Amino acid sequence: MKEVNKEVLKDASLRLMFTMEESEYDLLLDEFHTIQTQLGLMSKIEGIDDVTPMTFPFDVSIDYLREDEAKTPLNKEDALKNAKNVKDGQIKLPKVVG
Amino acid sequence: MNYLDLNIEEIHLALVEKKVTCLELVKEALKRAKEDTNNDFEIILEEEAIQKAVELDKKDCPKDNIFYGIPYCAKDNFSTKGYETTASSNILNGYVPLFDATVIKLLNEKNAILIAKTTLDELAMGGTGTSGHKGITFNPYKNDHTTLIGGSSCGSCAAVAASIVPFALGSDTGDSVRKPASYGGLVGFKPTWGLISRFGLFPFAPSLDHVAYFTRSVKDASYALDLLSVHDDNDYTSYRKERNSVLFDENNISTSKKVGILKEVYDSIDDETLKTSFDKLVNKLKEVGYTVDFVSIDKKLLSSIYPAYIVISSAEATSNNANLDGIKFGPYYDGKTYQEVMINARTNGFSSLIKRRFVLGSYALMKENQEEVFKRAQKVRHLIVNRTNEIFNDYDFIIGLAAPSVAKKVGEVSEQLSDKYLIADNYLAIGNFGGFPSITLPLGFKDGLPFGVNLTSKPYSEKQLFEISYKIEEITGLRNLSVNNKKEGL
Repeated sequence: MKEVNKEVLKDASLRLMFTMEESEYDLLLDEFHTIQTQLGLMSKIEGIDDVTPMTFPFDVSIDYLREDEAKTPLNKEDALKNAKNVKDGQIKLPKVVG
Repeated sequence: MNYLDLNIEEIHLALVEKKVTCLELVKEALKRAKEDTNNDFEIILEEEAIQKAVELDKKDCPKDNIFYGIPYCAKDNFSTKGYETTASSNILNGYVPLFDATVIKLLNEKNAILIAKTTLDELAMGGTGTSGHKGITFNPYKNDHTTLIGGSSCGSCAAVAASIVPFALGSDTGDSVRKPASYGGLVGFKPTWGLISRFGLFPFAPSLDHVAYFTRSVKDASYALDLLSVHDDNDYTSYRKERNSVLFDENNISTSKKVGILKEVYDSIDDETLKTSFDKLVNKLKEVGYTVDFVSIDKKLLSSIYPAYIVISSAEATSNNANLDGIKFGPYYDGKTYQEVMINARTNGFSSLIKRRFVLGSYALMKENQEEVFKRAQKVRHLIVNRTNEIFNDYDFIIGLAAPSVAKKVGEVSEQLSDKYLIADNYLAIGNFGGFPSITLPLGFKDGLPFGVNLTSKPYSEKQLFEISYKIEEITGLRNLSVNNKKEGL
C-alpha cells in the first residue's frame, strides 16, 4: 500500500479536481490512521486471495441488442437550461488556446 | 384521529368510501410539512400538490388503484422534471432535471401526489442525516432537536415517522433506508437488486445502490413493490425475466420456515433492552411455528464488511460524481482555465466530508493500492456473499436487530474499531453486497425512542419476506406506528 501523508492526500484531491483547507488535510490524515487499521482487517481473512473480486451482486449478462430506432435526444435549448454560463447557444469557458 | 395517520391501505378505503377527499389529505399533509421543525424537506410542492388533488377529486377513487390520491415524499436524489433537485449538495443548487426518475413516473401514472422532496446526507453518502447542505435532520420522537434520525434517507424517514405522509421514497446503498427505519419505528424495505429501476436516481455506488422506501405497514410495502417492480430499458441492470406477484394473503401464511440469527451480530450488541425484546420476538416466532437457530459467519469476515463497503462505495462514487463540474449544471465559478473553473466549483460545492470520502476512493484506486485495497474489498464482498448464500441453502431468512442501539444523540460518536460498530452497526450492507431483499420492522421502544428488527432473504423471495414480516407485525402490534400513533411493542 502506498504510504499516506499529506502530499499523497493533496495529490489525490487534485486528481479529483478539488482542494481542501490545511486543517481538512490534517483531519483526513488522522482519519486515515483508523481507516488503515480497518483496511488491515481485510488482509487477515483466511483465503482472501483465493476468490475473485466481485463487481456486482449477480452476473449481469446483456444478451440482447436494442432495436436501431431513431430517438429524439435533448434539444439544444433544454441541454443548455442548467448551464449558468451560456453565450450564443453554447456553454462558455475560458479560452484553451491563445 | 386524522385519515393521514392511517396507512395507505386504510386511506385508500376511506377515499373509495368518500369519507375523505384527496384535497383534504393533501392540505393536511402540507400543513404538517410546513409546521415540521425537524428539517425534513428540500422543497415543498404546495401549489402542484393542491392542483393535482383538486383534479383527482373530480373522479371517484378507483378501487383497483391503491395509490390514487396518496400524498408521498421523495428523497431529493430522485430526478423530478421541472423541480430543483440537489441531493442536499451545494454543487447541485439550482439544478432542475429535464425528466422524471422511473419510480416518480410510475407513481405519477397511478396518481400518487408528490408533496415534497426530502433532505439527505449530501449525495446520499452518509449514515447520520447530518451532512446535507441544510444541516441536521432530527428525530421526530424527541421534539427538542437532540436526537438524530439517521441517514442517508433522513428526511423521508422523519416525514413518515411524523405522519406527514404514509409513504416516502429513499435509496439504500449500505443501509440508508433500513437503518433509519429502525430509528424512526418504520417499515424500511429494499428489494432484490435490479427489481426496481434506478433510472433517474443520482448514482452513488451503482453496484450497491437500490431504490428503497419507508411505509408504516408491511402490506403497504408489498403494494409499493407491486407497483414499482417493472422492467425498464433505461436501466441496463433492470431484471429482464418475468416477475411473480409479491402480494400475499395474510390468512394463508406458512410458518414452516427456517430463520437464522447471526450469532456474531447478536454477541456484539450489549444493549440488554434491545436484546430482551429481540429474544421475546424469537420465542414468539417459535411459538407460531418458525424454526429459529443461531448461524455463524466468521467474525473476521463480518468485521471487514465496513472497510470493504467504504472502499467500494467511495471508489465508485469518485467516478460517478465526476460529472459534477459546475459547467453543465450547478453554480458556475470563474477561473482562468477550464480546469480552474472545475476545481473552484468542486472545492466550493462539496462539503468537507464528501471530499474526504472521495479522497479515500481515489486512494483505493491508485495503481499502487488497487490490489491491496480496492480488489481486496471486492474479494471480501465475494466471500461475504458466498457465505450468506450458504446460509440461505439451509435457512429462508436471516434475522437480527437492525442497529445496536436506539437513535444516537446529536454529536454522539461511535468507537470505530469496536465489534459493535464494525459488526452490528454495519452488517446490513450484506444486503447490498449480494443484492438480497431486506426489510426493517419496528420492534420496541427504549427511552421513548423506537428500535427495529431486520430480516434478509435470498434474491427474488420478496413475497415470503413480506409474509414473515406480516407475522412479526402481528406479534409486535406495531402496525401503523408513528409519533401520532404511539404503541409499546415488545
